[in-house]
Amino acid sequence: MKPEKPIPPQLAKRFLLWFLRDDLAEEVLGDLDEQFLYKTTRTSLFRAKLNYWYQVFNYLRPFAINKSKSTNSNHYAMFRNYLKISWRSLIKQKMYSSIKVVGSALGITACLLIALFIRDELSYDRHYANEDRIYRVVYVDNDDGEIEKDVFHQAPFAGALKDDYAEIVKAGRYCDGELFGAGSKEVRRAGTIQNSYEKDFIYVDQELLDILQIPMVYGDLATALTKPKSLVMSKAKADKYFPNENPVGQTLILDNDEENPYTIGGVMEDSPANSHFKHDFLMTMSGVEFWPGEQTYWRASNYPTYVLLRPDTDPKQLEMKIKDIVKNYMVPSREAAGIADPGDIVNKISFELQPISDIHLKSADIDDELSHGDIRFVWLFGTIAVFILLIACINFVNLSTAKSANRAKEVGVRKVAGSSRGNLIRQFLTESVLYSFLSFALGILLAWSLLPYFNTIADKSLEFPWATWWLIPAVAATALITGIFSGLYPSFYLSAFKPVQVLKGGVSRGSKSAYLRSVLVIFQFTTSIVLIISTAIIFRQMNFILNNKLGFDKEQVLLLRGANTLGDKVTTFKNTLLKFSEVKSVSVSDYLPIASTKRNGNGFWKEGKTQEDKPVYGQIWRVDHDYIKTMEMQIVEGRDFNPDMATDSQSIIINEKMAKAFAFENPLGQRITNSGDVWQVVGVVQDFHFETLKEDIRPLCLVIGNSPAIISVKVNTTDMANLIQSITAVWDEFSPNQPIRYTFMDEDFAQMYADVQRMGHIFNSFAILAIIVACMGLLALSTFMIEQRGKEISVRLVLGASFGNILRLLTSNFVKLVLISLIIAIPVGWLMMTKWLEDFVYKIDIGWDIFLFAGILVLIITILTVSYQSVKAALTNPVENLKSE
Amino acid sequence: MKETRLGEFEEVILLLVGILGEEAYAFKIAEEFESQTKRAVSIGAVHSTLNRLGDKGFLTSEMGKSTPERGGRRKRIYTITASGQRVLQIARDFKLSLWDQFPAFSTGKLSFGK
Repeated sequence: MKPEKPIPPQLAKRFLLWFLRDDLAEEVLGDLDEQFLYKTTRTSLFRAKLNYWYQVFNYLRPFAINKSKSTNSNHYAMFRNYLKISWRSLIKQKMYSSIKVVGSALGITACLLIALFIRDELSYDRHYANEDRIYRVVYVDNDDGEIEKDVFHQAPFAGALKDDYAEIVKAGRYCDGELFGAGSKEVRRAGTIQNSYEKDFIYVDQELLDILQIPMVYGDLATALTKPKSLVMSKAKADKYFPNENPVGQTLILDNDEENPYTIGGVMEDSPANSHFKHDFLMTMSGVEFWPGEQTYWRASNYPTYVLLRPDTDPKQLEMKIKDIVKNYMVPSREAAGIADPGDIVNKISFELQPISDIHLKSADIDDELSHGDIRFVWLFGTIAVFILLIACINFVNLSTAKSANRAKEVGVRKVAGSSRGNLIRQFLTESVLYSFLSFALGILLAWSLLPYFNTIADKSLEFPWATWWLIPAVAATALITGIFSGLYPSFYLSAFKPVQVLKGGVSRGSKSAYLRSVLVIFQFTTSIVLIISTAIIFRQMNFILNNKLGFDKEQVLLLRGANTLGDKVTTFKNTLLKFSEVKSVSVSDYLPIASTKRNGNGFWKEGKTQEDKPVYGQIWRVDHDYIKTMEMQIVEGRDFNPDMATDSQSIIINEKMAKAFAFENPLGQRITNSGDVWQVVGVVQDFHFETLKEDIRPLCLVIGNSPAIISVKVNTTDMANLIQSITAVWDEFSPNQPIRYTFMDEDFAQMYADVQRMGHIFNSFAILAIIVACMGLLALSTFMIEQRGKEISVRLVLGASFGNILRLLTSNFVKLVLISLIIAIPVGWLMMTKWLEDFVYKIDIGWDIFLFAGILVLIITILTVSYQSVKAALTNPVENLKSE
Repeated sequence: MKETRLGEFEEVILLLVGILGEEAYAFKIAEEFESQTKRAVSIGAVHSTLNRLGDKGFLTSEMGKSTPERGGRRKRIYTITASGQRVLQIARDFKLSLWDQFPAFSTGKLSFGK
């Protein structure tokens, strides 16, 4: 024998044997070996091997292939058998099966929805061409350890960055201050007369367009905003004003300013929903100066600034370097203004570079006046999803092991008939994978049909990604893995039964794993109770916000917007409205204690102390004489403005916070200044909330001034619709070219807390889902227990137990479990919600009544669930159960 | 055994079985086919045809000797049955009669020796 005989490819041989009819194996293998050997003498070993493979594939012919695998390997037939048995046991126990399938389907639905939500949240701002090199500059003010971050920089900041640092290729700004004319405007195409209202105007540098590389439909991105008085509009708006034409070069009239029309420099694609930079109209900053010298002024910060870095720049190092801006520009400007200790900001101010893709989720501590997501919510929702899925999986495990008594005999018989443990494990795994696939199918359908509802409560526009190629394989793989995992414990547990014990009736009727089951039930209920507690607290906080004493009255106030179009006629308009008996008072001011109305920031000093004292920062609101009356604010000291007193143009009303900040003993008559004007304090208004309740009330003062865009109308009527009709008629008379636009102050106020409300709804939905799934498990478990104890119950009944005795006997166990869950859930829920409430300065106390409420609610649900079966058991005629033996 | 006609490939294989005699097993037949016709064929194709011919009753087979180059495995030796010989005969006669009707060759100069 030659020691080194070439060996044919073993894989090919195995493959051949796998499909080949057994009775052909000898001759065919012989032929192939002979040919292989023959070939090796003639050609290379490689070619011989290749030929071997070729020959093997050529045996894939009907005559040679195993007709029925059962004659050879029994995988396929056994698998068919597994499936058949699985299907039969699924059909046989309709209630258990449906609870298993529906329960897991609900869990999967929750998971899928949350996964879609998270995917969307994580996808923000990843679409820019140079995404990894674009950063937003964050301004960090460290005042003795009190760190405040915002994104607003001085006008010349961007230019200085670009000039002084070679690492910065481009630096661009935007400005969305309503004070400067960004925000909402009345718009019409030149040559038409009918205005329409648009609310999304901002000022943008050409350079910001270059950084973001916004895709354009018309016009050249590189020059779209270079000319003064040019703007870029979104595709949607272009279609509205210039349907079916190229608007580049056309003009728009903004806020009836015919002298200064804007020329359209370009049309950009509509921003994707997952972008933090979504605007309809970008006005150029070119040639804009909000007051003389503004563009070189280093002591007013209004511009969020973005930079594009050179490749391979380390942003951390650059952050340290750009600190020099403070020393080189800000300090000299303070010196020039004669501010005491101009250099003290050097150690306070620093900068951070925030990657653009972090803006959406990681800006919780940064004041940027954008509404965005929160990485904490992403984590929170992710956790909830996992927990709900766990609850569903626990149902599966619990039910499978509980039913083990019923399957024990089957296992015994199978083993006696020669089944191996491996077979049994495969049998049970097949079952659980079958359940898993059914659940996933149902879960996907549910998620798909619930998506519109979820979109409403989460304020998203998610779509089900049917079209993505990986959806089906990914879901199938997950279903398989979930099926195997949730089937592992039951299958090993069930297949370990000893046939002799089982068949002789000695198996402990499924109560062996009672301990584990109890733990799992406790886990389920703890999760559900925590969710219920959270929901209750969120709703209570929301209620508190909406009904809190705010310091003003938001009910029955109609806000007419875009009133600046009335111009000089506003006073006549006001007087006409006051003729209605339902109208109590009317005030013209853009500064209102609700979100997205005008705001500003100013430093105030006592007169003559501008150099020595630190300023008191506060808002200065321009209002008219009827403002305090219309808002129903309270004057606590002094008086309201008086139209009969000409000196009131120099008067000021401050809030309590400002009085305290100035440490006035007697505020009335004090004179304060913002380093320009000087006012005399004539009154102190009670503190009112003008920001969300997450924030403290800050100093604020009111002066008489002109801010004509919003008219607040305080009414007293039960027939609002009718009144609005009358007001509309008056408006149309005064302003025929611009339709009336009104909102209700209480609704605008509630809008400020949309995110809180949203969170409440989401928690509510998930809490309901969790408790449903947990209860389904409980229902099945109790049914099973009662089934097992049927004879015991009957014997007790025969011996004289009352209906109540039986009920107590059957429910007490579960009630105990729920009580334990309650004990665990209360501290967990309390901790979680205390953390959540930390976001609010004004908040509720978490009272014991919430826990009591959650506890009673869950107990009632539990008892109802369990007693449904218990009552049935207690009412059955004992004979039914006992006659069989 | 309904189908008793011979395809061209079947006919050649059947003839080769006759030619090879004691050595008529799938690998040898395939090799002989390749060397005689210069056409490549896989053992599987030959095997499949042999199997079909067996079904039609033209061939019988039994396991023969084993050899070391086959890894000690036996080979299946095929032999032509009486009906196999008859069907070959019919096929030959049919073709001869066709040749005879072909004018260019009706002189009978061509000989078809056994």
